[in-house]
Amino acid sequence: MLNIVVMIKQVPDSSEVEIDPVKMTLNRTKARNVVNAADLNALEFALRIKDKVGANITVISMGPPMADAAIIECMARGADRGILITDRAFAGADTYPTGLTLAATIAKIGNVDIIFGGDETTDSSTGHVGPGVAEFLGIDQITYAKEVDYEDGYVIATRDLEDGDETVKVHTPVLITVLLNSNIPRHQSLRKKIDAIRKGVESWGINELGLKPDWVGLRGSPTIVRSMKAIKEPEHLHKTVPIDQIDTIIADLVSKNIIKVGGK
Amino acid sequence: MSEFDVIVIGAGPAGSSAAIKLAQGGMNVLLVERGDPPGTKNVSGAVLWGDELSRVVPDWERSAPIERFVTRKEVAFLTERSKIAISYSSQDLMEKKSGKIIVRGKFDQWLARKAKDAGAMLVTGITVDKLVMDDGKVIGVMQDGDVVTSDAVIVAEGANPRVLINSGLRPKLSDHDVALGIKETIKLPENVINERFNVDSKGGYASEFVLGFLEDGLLSGGFLYTNKDTVSLGIVASLDRLRANGMTHSYDIMGKFEEHPFIKNLIKDGIPDEYAAHLVPEGGLASMPELYGNGYLVAGDAAMFTFSNGMVLQGINYAITSGLLAAETILENKTKINKETLSSYVTKLRNSYVLSDLYTFNGIQNVTWSDFTQKTMPKILDSVMMSMFDERGMPKKHLMQVLTAAVKSNGMRYTDLISSGYRMMRKM
Repeated sequence: MLNIVVMIKQVPDSSEVEIDPVKMTLNRTKARNVVNAADLNALEFALRIKDKVGANITVISMGPPMADAAIIECMARGADRGILITDRAFAGADTYPTGLTLAATIAKIGNVDIIFGGDETTDSSTGHVGPGVAEFLGIDQITYAKEVDYEDGYVIATRDLEDGDETVKVHTPVLITVLLNSNIPRHQSLRKKIDAIRKGVESWGINELGLKPDWVGLRGSPTIVRSMKAIKEPEHLHKTVPIDQIDTIIADLVSKNIIKVGGK
Repeated sequence: MSEFDVIVIGAGPAGSSAAIKLAQGGMNVLLVERGDPPGTKNVSGAVLWGDELSRVVPDWERSAPIERFVTRKEVAFLTERSKIAISYSSQDLMEKKSGKIIVRGKFDQWLARKAKDAGAMLVTGITVDKLVMDDGKVIGVMQDGDVVTSDAVIVAEGANPRVLINSGLRPKLSDHDVALGIKETIKLPENVINERFNVDSKGGYASEFVLGFLEDGLLSGGFLYTNKDTVSLGIVASLDRLRANGMTHSYDIMGKFEEHPFIKNLIKDGIPDEYAAHLVPEGGLASMPELYGNGYLVAGDAAMFTFSNGMVLQGINYAITSGLLAAETILENKTKINKETLSSYVTKLRNSYVLSDLYTFNGIQNVTWSDFTQKTMPKILDSVMMSMFDERGMPKKHLMQVLTAAVKSNGMRYTDLISSGYRMMRKM
């Protein structure tokens, strides 16, 4: 049977997050914790493959102990197994050690055919982690997928690119990052959620994965945040002019060097 | 053999209280909640009156997320330009901790956690579709085509009783059964609230308003509660009048309430934090479903257990007590659950304030939702007050003369006033 891994992240509900005006950081304390929305789209594609040809779906997530609720939610939607990668050593990780840690988890699970993830998370929006995992594992990747199908050892996916759609056919093993809203995720099931709560979520730490403290968490992160600045939105001026005076307005804007004419 | 002893639908005050008591009694309980976390589907104000929770969570006031204790309670009639209020402040209110101002989003989550701690399995983010019957007996619940079995079910699903309706156990709601509640949560600094409402940081202000003046042909009430650093402001509007008055939108009424000269200043410079709407049970006995059947009991808002006599709006205390009594009924009859044994639930409710109050105040909605209470009386009171306080260098009149003039100028006859007033006093 196919072995599928879905990588998810628990994030604060973006509609409830506020920006602390002094510290310039996200105030997440008030926000509800939810499964990152694109990850649910990724899970849905995995479940559709399971419905079609049968598969064993493992949901993995790196996060604090409370993130097990997000994994249980995915199991309530139809995933078979949940693993939470949690360890103090992983704290403060940027996308590089996060990709490494997830790749190590997938390697330990073993014999994985398809790996899914959302294309980015709402709380950091880098889009690095999925491709990073594929590179660490040395397997092919399909990014920006909005349609995914599986047939006889191949994943057929449509990628949403800036200049059009691209359909690709890739042999497994392959990693796919899925665009937000590319499908409608199914609801949670009471039956499955009861079973998930009873089964529980496995917890793996740095020792289980055989990683070194220097490789992960803050120590393993090449990114250094030097400072943060709030971007002030420029003031917009509004002016209504009669249509026959548009020429004068354009001339005025050109003379003030606000707009340029002649395609320069 | 059933998978669970009891399934409780809804982790609000009724459901969670029932689940705590059942779990404490050694039962294998499943508590299913639509919201994730519990409390997120709720809009209620709110003030929790009474102390019934101490029966299952001793010293609950210490660990519960209570915003403030009511030290100042008001009931007010608003007219376009005036406010006539009965205001009661007392140190005793604080000492006896009579009214606890809570934010349901936090409170429900806390109470559901208590149920989980007591041993119930809490499953959130799931909406149960209906009850499953076998040979006339409820044997569990159905969700997404799956059946989860139990010996008994407590339906505590709240004001919108989908499970009861889908199971054919109550008719669909009509406009008389429920009213529409809208609530806005407004952020204000704690010290500003303390100064503006004349309370200390533990004390709180809770007020109910009669808002008949807001819109022609429309009946509505309002409320304002001070939380720690937010204010809950809202209205409850009668659905049939709202529907009849097709051009009126509920948010317009809310807007007019907020803009009232005596409300505007109280929420000045506040930052709107939440805006939500919900159904409020209003029908009393006439809207009540069967409270029990073979294998199931109904508690809280789903049973229409709310109380409003114009002086107070209550529901959470009725929810908690009915939840506890439902749990008690099941615990006492756990070996033989059937329609006959579960009927003792109603006896328990009648012996408690829950059903007693609903019988005592049966028909009260005809008074609180009447043009007399909502429109005429505030106008008369306004005229009387104004003529008493507006000194114009004229000879003063007796109160009776002032009242007569006010009644007349509002197009009423004395006999109408007396009969309406009598009815009101009797019902309240």
